[in-house]
Amino acid sequence: MKPWSGPLALALALPLLACGGHGDAPAQTMIVLGIDGMDHALTQQYMEQGILPNFSRLAREGTFQPLGTSSPPLSPVAWSNFITGMDSGGHGIFDFIHREPDTMIPYLSTSKTEDAGTTVKLGKYQFPLSGGGIELMRRGEAFWEVLEREGVESTIIRMPANFPPTGAATRELSGMGTPDVVGTYGTFSFYTSVLFAFSGQSLNGGDVYEAWEEDGVVEAKLHGPDNPFLRESEKVTTEFKVYIDPEEPIAKLEVGEEERVLEVGEWSDWVPVEFEFIPTQSLAGTCRFYLRSVRPEFELYVSPINFDPMAPGMPISHPEDYAAELAAATGTFYTQGMPEDTQALRERVLSREEFMAQAKIAGEEIRRQYDYVLEQFQSSSSPRRFLFYYFGNLDQISHMMFRVLDPEHPTYDPEVDSKFASVIEDLYRNADEVVGYTLDQMDESTTLIVMSDHGFTSLRRQFSINTWLKEAGYLAVRNPNMSSDPGLFVNVDWSRTRAYGVGLNGLYINLKGREPNGIVEPRDRLALIREIGDKLLEVIDPKTGVPAVGKVYPREESFQDRGEEEIGPDLVIGFAKGTGGSGQSILGAVPKEMFSDNTEEWTGDHGMDHETVPGILLTNRPLKQAAPRLQDLAGAILAEFGIEGFPVRKSD
Amino acid sequence: MSFLNNILRRLFDAALSPFSGLHPLVGIAVVSLVLGVAMLLVFKWTSKQEKMTAVKRQIHAGLFEIRLFNDNLRAILRAIGTILHHNLRYLGLTVVPLLWMIVPFVLIVAQLQFHYGYQGLEPGAQALVEVELDQSAGGLGGVRPAITLEAPPGLLIEAGPIWVPSARELTWRISAVEQGDYELVLKTSDGEITKSVRVSGQVVRRSPKRLAAGFFNQLLYPAEDPLPASTPIRAIGLSYPAGNAGFEGWESELTWMIFFLVLSIIFAFALRKPLKVTL
Repeated sequence: MKPWSGPLALALALPLLACGGHGDAPAQTMIVLGIDGMDHALTQQYMEQGILPNFSRLAREGTFQPLGTSSPPLSPVAWSNFITGMDSGGHGIFDFIHREPDTMIPYLSTSKTEDAGTTVKLGKYQFPLSGGGIELMRRGEAFWEVLEREGVESTIIRMPANFPPTGAATRELSGMGTPDVVGTYGTFSFYTSVLFAFSGQSLNGGDVYEAWEEDGVVEAKLHGPDNPFLRESEKVTTEFKVYIDPEEPIAKLEVGEEERVLEVGEWSDWVPVEFEFIPTQSLAGTCRFYLRSVRPEFELYVSPINFDPMAPGMPISHPEDYAAELAAATGTFYTQGMPEDTQALRERVLSREEFMAQAKIAGEEIRRQYDYVLEQFQSSSSPRRFLFYYFGNLDQISHMMFRVLDPEHPTYDPEVDSKFASVIEDLYRNADEVVGYTLDQMDESTTLIVMSDHGFTSLRRQFSINTWLKEAGYLAVRNPNMSSDPGLFVNVDWSRTRAYGVGLNGLYINLKGREPNGIVEPRDRLALIREIGDKLLEVIDPKTGVPAVGKVYPREESFQDRGEEEIGPDLVIGFAKGTGGSGQSILGAVPKEMFSDNTEEWTGDHGMDHETVPGILLTNRPLKQAAPRLQDLAGAILAEFGIEGFPVRKSD
Repeated sequence: MSFLNNILRRLFDAALSPFSGLHPLVGIAVVSLVLGVAMLLVFKWTSKQEKMTAVKRQIHAGLFEIRLFNDNLRAILRAIGTILHHNLRYLGLTVVPLLWMIVPFVLIVAQLQFHYGYQGLEPGAQALVEVELDQSAGGLGGVRPAITLEAPPGLLIEAGPIWVPSARELTWRISAVEQGDYELVLKTSDGEITKSVRVSGQVVRRSPKRLAAGFFNQLLYPAEDPLPASTPIRAIGLSYPAGNAGFEGWESELTWMIFFLVLSIIFAFALRKPLKVTL
């Protein structure tokens, strides 16, 4: 903050106070800490064990209750419920993944990129005459728009499903849903001299490149986005070199004018990189390097290339230079929405220890930034102000490490997992420390809310919805002997398919007039949904002998809000606790196995029946308006500021 | 050269010390003003002012002629010829004062570069110490040189060295622990060599490179004494971050110079009449 902005703001506020305005309202400040994935049962357990003293203090002074989550209980959906006070029928986010009904191509649900308009073509080059754009797909009014309208200064940091930022708050930094420079949720790069490393496997969330040492030097390229100035699709790259010591396990990196020395097992700080499209146009990025090994094999991990917060290539904050302000105050940071590289661990490019080290780096950045944001919030002269700050570390690490709490998990190994036995507990302790720090910094008149979007549980079994649909006769495949289905419905015979699954919990009817090759008449749709739903509830996992699906929610019953419901699935599948959708089925594949043990590193999840994984709500004083569900919370927050009637529904 | 640099270093350290805790632009502005005045006076005393005035009049006359006879191509061409001729005369008249000024200007800019061209290390910041060796060491398959680095309290050697035979280069990663002025010590078979490290956010002299003796080395890198001739070390680099003249996001070793040149020109033009200098 500029040194003169405090007095200036005060000076500007004085006339307002003198002539009424918001001066009549009592000073109100509120801090909301959003802790993704904090589970109600676990929190209660740890509180009873006395390891969360600050949480217990809040519970004594205010409230502690389960917070009903969204259906399905997935972060983009849940946070959109919180933001808009509506369910998916109103805000239009139903899953991480939606499908384009015209093409059946799955896409990330929260934002959409639009290509540049008219271009001038010159040889192999093209020059856009108008810029492209990126659109936030979440509909409905964000609660901070109302706060700002009512004179409450709002700071919204890393709110999921808020990329690009609305621009309505005084300060915003986008969170989950913010892509890396190649436009994905995070694509790491792995450089290795191991012959045919990962051959035959397509890596999710990362690319593997062969890299060979020659005379002590490895020369390789960092891969950026497609060059928009070229007519043919071609990724822009920038070269880097790694000099390897002939004897010691150490190397020197050279990227442009940047140099770093790394010992094996060390992470670099943020290294700025530049991708040149044409001599006058380039994209600034930044990444971290991790030197895994130099001999006998060379192995180097490079994080997804993030936007440089000092000069981001996309709108990641509001005002535009707010990201730079944060970077200047607390250092460069992960701008991608989900910084913990869970994919690198899932693909076993990083070990569990390495993943935990990377997640710790990301967590520390966010914690450091919180201190600065809280200090700025506290020093603001605005009498009515609101801060939301998001922590995603607990969610992402819980996904990868939840096994340590479940000895019956298929991948649980007491010997290996004993090293990580306290990981989950430590995450909750960290959250408690943040709450304690906040309580120390804030004054007594401030309302503090600690909330989570959903809970967590162990993911032991996987159930492929598309395989079940095939076995039950609702989905037909072109080639029953296809050895490895690449997904995207390439093996689906639409002429004989009545229903299909895509996304984590979504089941769609192949509806005539909506899907390009729809065969189900609209009049038969509801009956078919009920028929499939009833049958799904009868599916028993042959290994465990328990139902695979706890509940099913037809769209018409699941979503009370209206306006965007046509985008969503016809049926939301509420998997039974401990069971989740198969990873292949999510992207439109029809794998051979209907059920399988979850042998992946992704051992914790929440994509089940929403009633089984509630989040938490903790406050330092009872709220004026009850908030039993996530989507009630925004209304309750506004009520604390004396603002009633949120959200305004279309039917209203 | 080394003797001269020694004097200049002390002079500039003393002259700029009042501005060390202020925004870099303050010092740059004061230096620009002083230097602008000094260069105006040098220009005045070393140039033929009357002749310059006369030549400028001739140029103006040529320009006037073009405006007056704008329908007469022959007259315009003649006027252009006259202007070009007098322009060359004008340039000729500036050669002597420029010769007087160029040497002190380069020496001064070189000194300023190491006050304003780099940012100091802050506690917690990392930097690389790069030691470049002469032909007698390394090469592909060359033997690893027996050089060690010692850091005083206040600095920490975090990693290294990495030996790159093809570049004959040893590199360490150090980090700053506390504010202060330090000397790293490199121990070779021929003795000890030091390298200065300044952990400070203030505007002070920083030496990103200590080089072997040599006229151009000392002209371009005057911030530290040259390396002794007996050592196989040709250069010791320290990766100070590039300066930004106090403007976040404008990091470049030459950012300060843009402000310096612009301000010097502004001051020179503003003061040329009070100082009665014809430029």
